[in-house]
Amino acid sequence: MLRVSGLAVGFGGEPILDGIDLDVAAGEFATLVGPSGSGKTSILRVITDLLEPLRGTVELDVGPRDVGFLFQDDALLPWRTVRHNVALGLRIREVSSSDADERAEHWLSLLGLAGFGDRYPAQLSGGQRKRVAIAQVLALRPRLLLMDEPFAALDAIVRTRITQELLDWVERERLTVLLVTHDLEEAISASDAVHVLGHGPRATIRSRHRVAIPRPRRVLEARGHPAFGPLLRRLWDDLAAGKLPQGPNAPARPEPRERAARAEAARS
Amino acid sequence: MTPRRRASMVRRGGALLVLLAAWEGLSAAGWVDPFYAPPPTAVGQVLVTLVAGGDLWPHLGATFLAAFAGLAVGLVVGVALGFAAALAPPVADLLEPVMILLNAIPRVILAPLFVIWLGIGLASKLALATVLVAVLIFFAVYNGVREVDPRLVERLRTLGGGRRFVVQEVYVPSVTSWVFGSFKVAVGFAFTGAVVGEFVASSRGLGYLLQFAQSTYNAALTIALILVIMAVVLGLFACAERVERRLLRWRHL
Repeated sequence: MLRVSGLAVGFGGEPILDGIDLDVAAGEFATLVGPSGSGKTSILRVITDLLEPLRGTVELDVGPRDVGFLFQDDALLPWRTVRHNVALGLRIREVSSSDADERAEHWLSLLGLAGFGDRYPAQLSGGQRKRVAIAQVLALRPRLLLMDEPFAALDAIVRTRITQELLDWVERERLTVLLVTHDLEEAISASDAVHVLGHGPRATIRSRHRVAIPRPRRVLEARGHPAFGPLLRRLWDDLAAGKLPQGPNAPARPEPRERAARAEAARS
Repeated sequence: MTPRRRASMVRRGGALLVLLAAWEGLSAAGWVDPFYAPPPTAVGQVLVTLVAGGDLWPHLGATFLAAFAGLAVGLVVGVALGFAAALAPPVADLLEPVMILLNAIPRVILAPLFVIWLGIGLASKLALATVLVAVLIFFAVYNGVREVDPRLVERLRTLGGGRRFVVQEVYVPSVTSWVFGSFKVAVGFAFTGAVVGEFVASSRGLGYLLQFAQSTYNAALTIALILVIMAVVLGLFACAERVERRLLRWRHL
């Protein structure tokens, strides 16, 4: 569905990311984790043509109109109603405005915002605005969904709930997803494959992991799955092996023998 | 209206009445010279004569015409030049120094020049009002376009929107909000331009009447005319505010 090869991204000719290879199969939920400021977002921006790469190629099995991009912040048009914001992409695709409004209402009610169509973004809470942003993207029925830390600004309860709703939709539509985040637990509970980005400059993908938790997932239950803890530790190790300081809450680094055993397990 | 707000209005109205009564009293007692400071009743009489006698209307009409024509032309010119400068850097290089200079000087000093060029008729008043308004609107649009939130433009592009949608959904509303932020000031400027233009040289208009009142040392007429102009501008401000509230209702929530 999506193949990124030999990608280098940077500003002023100096790459912050280099040699990025990424393969996302149709129907797969892939996550790219990495430290903040490592340039994860630029990869999504290259895929959506918002940024010109220094080197490398992006191949898509679908047209650009089948790609949905859910941004980190929910910058809705402040001067348009919620309904208009959701209908925006449909209008761009030349759906008649009454039809677009009707479909927008449908999506709003699917996301629990029935009756909010006439409000303005400033009248909504952060979680509601996020739902509007999701409705805006999903209303276009994308086949590939790109997400850039979409829930970072939400509180834990809203975040869990919205994540679950989105996962249910992904499951139903067999959507292909590439999520970018620095939240390891979110990465594991949602995805099939986790790609770990190293530290810059010239950061590249340091390791790749499969998540052995069956789909469909319940966000909260996935955290209790036996595969969850060990994978979390390995992701932590991969990230901490760079320059990340050892905080008081960081998991203790495993003994070398234990690590060797785990590497063995990972290979099999 | 809340009781607290009503009490405040009553207090303000009361204070004004006390002030007017004091003025009237001082005048009646002979402590101030009515030649320089005519009492409120004398001003009132002049006002009634002006309005009821019908002498005011042609002058008011002339000033309105010059102010509104200047406002309209100034808006069009300001919006056009503002967009041109914001979207085409060579145009900005050409316009920005001129506009900064025009913005820095008190633009009413151009009035005598416009009279020399365009005569004492409507054209010179319209030109002055236009210049006053256009410079203000130019900067509102120029800044409005340059301050557009780039995230909104990106958002629209990822939804598949081309230039037309970006202009229609982002640039125009964003610039509109900037222009309306300056609209009330623009209405005031248009009247300033018209009245000052008439003041300098004309044969009709409120500015002409003011000039006439001053040259005949008629303080009562002068004060009456100042009151008329204040009432007109305040009325227009109220209208402008309603239009603004309607168009920018997404902001007043």
